[in-house]
Amino acid sequence: MVLAEGGHDVTILEKGRNYFSELVSARPGTVFSNDELKSDRNFAEADPIAEPRVFRTSPSDAHPFVGSVQALPQTVGGGAVHWDAKTPRYWDIDFKKLSLLGPITGAAIEDWPFSYDEIAPAYSEIETLIGVQGDVAALPELTLSHAPRSGSFPMPPGPAQYSSLVVAKGCERIGLHPFPAAMAINSRAYDGRPVCNNCGFCSDYGCPIVARIGALAPLRRALLAGAELSDRSWVVSIEWSGRRATGVSVMDESGRRHSLSADLVVVGANPIETVRLALLSRLPDPHGATGRHLMFHWFTDGSGIFFDERLHAYRGRDHTHDIDDFADPDFPGARKAANAAGLPYFRAGKVEMGGSDRPLGEAQEYQQILSYVEPHKPFGTAFKQLMRASLLRDRLLGLVLMGEDLPYPTNLVDLDPVHRDFRGLPVPRVTYSPGRYELAAQAFYMPWLTKMLDAAGAQVSIAVPQQSSSRFPISAGNVPQTDHMMGGMRMGTDPATSVTDATGRHHQLDNVFIADGSVFPSSGGHNPTLTIMATALHNARQWL
Amino acid sequence: MRSLERRQVLKTASLAGLGLLLPPELLRAAPSPRDAEDVAGRGRWLVFTAHQAAVVEEATARLIPGPLDDPSERGHPGAREADVTRYIDTMLGALSLSPAKVFAGGPFSNRAGNPSDDMAEFIGLTPGQAYGWKRRIAGWRHQYSVGIASLDRAAGGSFIRATAAERDAVLARNEEGFVSLLFAHAIEGMYSNPEYGGNAGLVGWRDIKFPGDVQPRGYSDAEVSRSDGPDRYEPAGAAAKLLNLIKISNGR
Repeated sequence: MVLAEGGHDVTILEKGRNYFSELVSARPGTVFSNDELKSDRNFAEADPIAEPRVFRTSPSDAHPFVGSVQALPQTVGGGAVHWDAKTPRYWDIDFKKLSLLGPITGAAIEDWPFSYDEIAPAYSEIETLIGVQGDVAALPELTLSHAPRSGSFPMPPGPAQYSSLVVAKGCERIGLHPFPAAMAINSRAYDGRPVCNNCGFCSDYGCPIVARIGALAPLRRALLAGAELSDRSWVVSIEWSGRRATGVSVMDESGRRHSLSADLVVVGANPIETVRLALLSRLPDPHGATGRHLMFHWFTDGSGIFFDERLHAYRGRDHTHDIDDFADPDFPGARKAANAAGLPYFRAGKVEMGGSDRPLGEAQEYQQILSYVEPHKPFGTAFKQLMRASLLRDRLLGLVLMGEDLPYPTNLVDLDPVHRDFRGLPVPRVTYSPGRYELAAQAFYMPWLTKMLDAAGAQVSIAVPQQSSSRFPISAGNVPQTDHMMGGMRMGTDPATSVTDATGRHHQLDNVFIADGSVFPSSGGHNPTLTIMATALHNARQWL
Repeated sequence: MRSLERRQVLKTASLAGLGLLLPPELLRAAPSPRDAEDVAGRGRWLVFTAHQAAVVEEATARLIPGPLDDPSERGHPGAREADVTRYIDTMLGALSLSPAKVFAGGPFSNRAGNPSDDMAEFIGLTPGQAYGWKRRIAGWRHQYSVGIASLDRAAGGSFIRATAAERDAVLARNEEGFVSLLFAHAIEGMYSNPEYGGNAGLVGWRDIKFPGDVQPRGYSDAEVSRSDGPDRYEPAGAAAKLLNLIKISNGR
């Protein structure tokens, strides 16, 4: 958008397909729909057989996983096609973590090249562009003190989800501070697009009525300014010589390659694919910094089960309320618990409150559970009774706690030496495990999730880490699937410890710019997409 | 079993008879491809032999029983009524159709106020998707072929001639994990959008009070924000065991 409107001839190359029509109109058409099976079958993501990724917890991991790892949509619109569009801002202490919170042994804690105050105008501009709902008056003092706002949100909050209201009341009873989540979903007609009609297929689903425009809003502006969009165009390498990129090599859907020359190359493929492209292109990397300091957010799930009523969390926008209390390094008891774990401080992050599962996901859970509780006949009427009682869907109130990930040099993306995708290119390999910081914060806040659910009136409450670890070996899974990805091409002033400069420009190549979450020096404790967009906007203004 | 086969024959015959009376345009707009295929006299299944289909139908009816399969499911349709076998056969034969029947279209079905069913028009695969689904389906077809034979063998020669108790015992043994795969697919056929071939008459969604896809109507603000009122559930059976398991794990 910035480059096209600044007079550059821009070609936008997207590997995946375009599932929208009339992208230059206010309200594009789409083939996304309320269809759980389509989502389960990875309609918008890379097929995990054709394009797997490799995941291991460490270089000595004897059983690397091959398949779907942190798969985001591979389509026009990218990750902002498939989200429930929660758009909190990062906090001042995220941008100046080293200065304001201090170092942590083993982690490469750094300040961002800019402060909260410096990026705040870009936040406001993006919030207006994509249409964010929220209520400044309802934001807790804590949130406003770390992320001050100069004006109101472009739209007021939409209808609160019943399940979110139930747990919000419970939170208030125990001294926590719930508020309507900021989200880039229309609570009224906005910019030519309709109000959200609460269909409930939000997170993991493209919006069938485009009441959630996301990255298509700046894309539209770019197209109106003359940019050309080419989907099914997979950039497989950046061609370069000396300190300059000369263009890119593009593969079309039939597998044929051609070259495109360019004065300026901007990469926004998400951390894992951007790093992969840098490595496939053998971009100069004298200090071996490319791909390091990868961060995901260390998630913990809470589930409350209600016997007295159905909570119908399938209506609405996944969830509508958050708390920020656990993102505060000075939450009561947190410093002391951190010190006991040998840390100067720790933070978790925001809690999303009120979501649940859908029928296929629920049924798959019962299939697993029945093999434990009814081993002699793990099917039949018992299964159908579970589905009708719906303890794990219609009577379930879900919480998701985001945990801030620290940047560790050992958490990284590189190219897998063995596995290749269906075009013969090496696939990305992710090496990632949490450190003491993430695990100590999780251990401290996990009991809070059950406390919140108990206070909300759940008859049964449970909290479980999303991913297993040395500390909590039994959990929901072994492979991170948080969809939050940061780092790998981090910004910084020192080329020895960062890959890109203070504006996302590659330290070694003067006309290569990175414009996705891979430039983040720290992960924050909130959903990253708004900050990805604001950072890209803030940086791009300095490239011209 | 035999009554089921007769039922199917009757259904097919009556539809074929009806077909003769209808103009061809209406047949093309017939509600399900099954009916259209039957009328046209083509094979009833894309992939299954008649025997394989019968075994899958009877096995999935034990996994997700309906009123014909378990007296306690009276009023609660199961895999048989949802046409789960059709779903599985369609999935295993998805690549023989054009466009491949893997990803239903959008944005709307005709179930919530849209005049036509956009979901009935499937979306063509990308080369990567085609590559993945070709291998995925080839693997499944092999598993079904071997797995169905193993169900027959474990039932002493014929699964569909075994008693309900014998079928349950065979399924609980889950040889080579085939029953896990079959159950996972039966779940999809039971509770997915009907355009994929299962959830016939939306019986899967209705049984669990799930409205399914609701676009473009959506839900009103009141439906989102208000309680639906008391709906007391007394834990019993497997649910009580599940809750107990949670309590034990919380105590650890």
